[in-house]
Amino acid sequence: MSFFTDIFRLMGTPDLWHASLQYAALLLLPALGGVISERSGVVNIAMEGMMLTGAFFAVAVDLAAHNVWIAVLGAMLAGGLMALIHAVVSIRYRADQIVSGVAINIFAAGITVFLVNRIYGLSDVGQVPSSDALPNWHVPILGDIPFLGRVFFQQNIMVYVALILLVAIQIFLFRTRLGLRVRSVGEHPQAADTAGINVYTLRYGAVVTSGLLSGLAGAFLSIGIANTFVPGMTDGRGYIALAAMIFGKWTPIGAFVATLIFGFGQAIYDANSSIHVSQYLLSMTPYILTLVVLTAVVRRSSPPAADGIPYVPGAE
Amino acid sequence: MAAAVKPSARKGPPRILRRAGRALGVPLLSVLIAFVAGAIIVAVTGGNPLQAYQALICGGFGLFCFGGEPSVLQLSNTLVFVTPLIMAGIAVALPFRAGMFNIGAEGQLIMGAILATTVGIHWSGLPAVLLVPLVLLSGALGGALWGGIVGVLKATTGAHEVVTTIMLNFIAQWFLRFLIIGGPLQLPGGSSKSSPIGGNAQLPTLLPHDNTIIFGLPGAVYRAHTGIFVALIAAGVFAFLLWRTSLGYEIRAVGQSQRAARYAGISVRQTLIVTMLIAGAFAGLAGAVQIAGVDHNLTDQYFSDTTGFDAIAVALLGLNSAVGIVLSAILFGALHAGGSVMQSDAGVSGNLVYVLQALILFSIAANFLRTVKLRLPSVGRVPLTPEADAAAAAVAQETDTALAGDDKDIA
Repeated sequence: MSFFTDIFRLMGTPDLWHASLQYAALLLLPALGGVISERSGVVNIAMEGMMLTGAFFAVAVDLAAHNVWIAVLGAMLAGGLMALIHAVVSIRYRADQIVSGVAINIFAAGITVFLVNRIYGLSDVGQVPSSDALPNWHVPILGDIPFLGRVFFQQNIMVYVALILLVAIQIFLFRTRLGLRVRSVGEHPQAADTAGINVYTLRYGAVVTSGLLSGLAGAFLSIGIANTFVPGMTDGRGYIALAAMIFGKWTPIGAFVATLIFGFGQAIYDANSSIHVSQYLLSMTPYILTLVVLTAVVRRSSPPAADGIPYVPGAE
Repeated sequence: MAAAVKPSARKGPPRILRRAGRALGVPLLSVLIAFVAGAIIVAVTGGNPLQAYQALICGGFGLFCFGGEPSVLQLSNTLVFVTPLIMAGIAVALPFRAGMFNIGAEGQLIMGAILATTVGIHWSGLPAVLLVPLVLLSGALGGALWGGIVGVLKATTGAHEVVTTIMLNFIAQWFLRFLIIGGPLQLPGGSSKSSPIGGNAQLPTLLPHDNTIIFGLPGAVYRAHTGIFVALIAAGVFAFLLWRTSLGYEIRAVGQSQRAARYAGISVRQTLIVTMLIAGAFAGLAGAVQIAGVDHNLTDQYFSDTTGFDAIAVALLGLNSAVGIVLSAILFGALHAGGSVMQSDAGVSGNLVYVLQALILFSIAANFLRTVKLRLPSVGRVPLTPEADAAAAAVAQETDTALAGDDKDIA
């Protein structure tokens, strides 16, 4: 019983909701990337690896350039480059997209530590601290509102970026001509091709975008939240983002709702010192929740029709 | 099967050589491409690829050890890595045959290790003849339970196994942490590890485990254990199951076309569930053998264990066949064992091994050979999953439009 009273007590503090929104934004970025990639018909389980690569390059570029914005750019490019590999292998060479995604994740885990060892020495397998951090933005006036100000208007700059991207991508996918084309390529590439839409270009663009967004999330994690790079620091967040995407039925808004739930779970976990239950059992909850939701809810939703199927011109 | 209907009356080298060439061509070239790409990465980052690979081969196979490293010790270390990889590889390969992607071998392995350890601790008084099989069986049971969840969810609700297995991996890892950090299995007074299993629950090592000098070193340093025989038997069972039983036939039929299998009277749902149960059992067995053979207790190493993910590469490189899995497990086992020697001898991060593994996966999946093959008609094509790939594509394309909406595949 004390577990629930602990939770209720925590829910009365703005810090819990502040942390929930921050973690939700961290998951939202790769989830949005996943939505775009899979809407175009390319299965992407590699957000984890792209995020990890982004996290490393954010710190590495920051240490070299001492500028967080160049670091963010470096992280996005690194994530985008990983996505480009996934795109070439699965679009150009028509590989199994899940195998390619697994390979990207293994590659990212290996190459980041390999580079840590190369650049910072074999002894530095532990941590590489960054020298700068992404700033928090205390919104004037609004940030001074009691409770709500702390929750919504004293966040890291990346939280605002993620929310703006959420709206932009929702509008892009469902209210613009190009967004319609991306979706058509993921639903029925043959028809899109016949209508004069370049299937390959759109798919390359969508997959690389997912890498840019995942790399951005990596930067948020390493130089926005942790201020250090630790091997394997993404710790499954890319996979949670994947779950959020499915949970949200391949829509940006739906994915956001899912990331809010997962973000809340993470915030509870972070506050574990004031909860009387094993933190390890507590950390199982987002995964169990995903399983339950997958079986109970997602049964009634389905991915884009051509998701995961390589496009072969002329074959039908 | 596809191989059986191939025309055999062709001029050229003997049939068996042609078959071997066909089977080995893609994997060997994939490995070669990966190593060339890996060498470029080492060179670009200012390392010496030749030195790195020399140390890697020394650490993996005990060959070219110019620094005087004891060869037999290297081979013994490799064997320790190879043993669980064979069984975990089967756990990935069997569902592949049924058209499923088991990313959950890691979680199944952990659950197997947990149950095996629990049994090994609580019944430590039993004689070894009884206890060792009991420990191995309970490991298989733990894995089967974890794999079975995936099968049941897929068959009943259509939840995709890639997502459910990823989630179950995390749940297993956190459950393990819970058990051994302040939980019921924690070694009293210890940190992040369980109590050891009883001596009667342990698999014996291949060489006497004492201070007898063998190959210039005390016998106790050689960790290679009899679990390798369990692994080889498992590979035999896998091959028998797949090719000599009706269940194996059903698994392959479902993998080729669920619709065709259904028309043949096979229960697709039941086959998917049974496949995942058996696959989980193999992964759980790997965990049990790891506990009974080398580790003897659950440690925090199992948090970061990657055997179940390495197994994906093992299964794919081994073309989901028993012999192929054993061979590719030897390769990946050698890579992992060699990685640490490469790091200490050549100063190249042992993590290069994961980079190589990913590169091998890319090059098998992308089948770069396909592009080359067009100009070399004699090089046979071996698709990713030999039958499933070509046959399923053909069947699906012809029947999908005709039967759309009739009965949906459990995708």
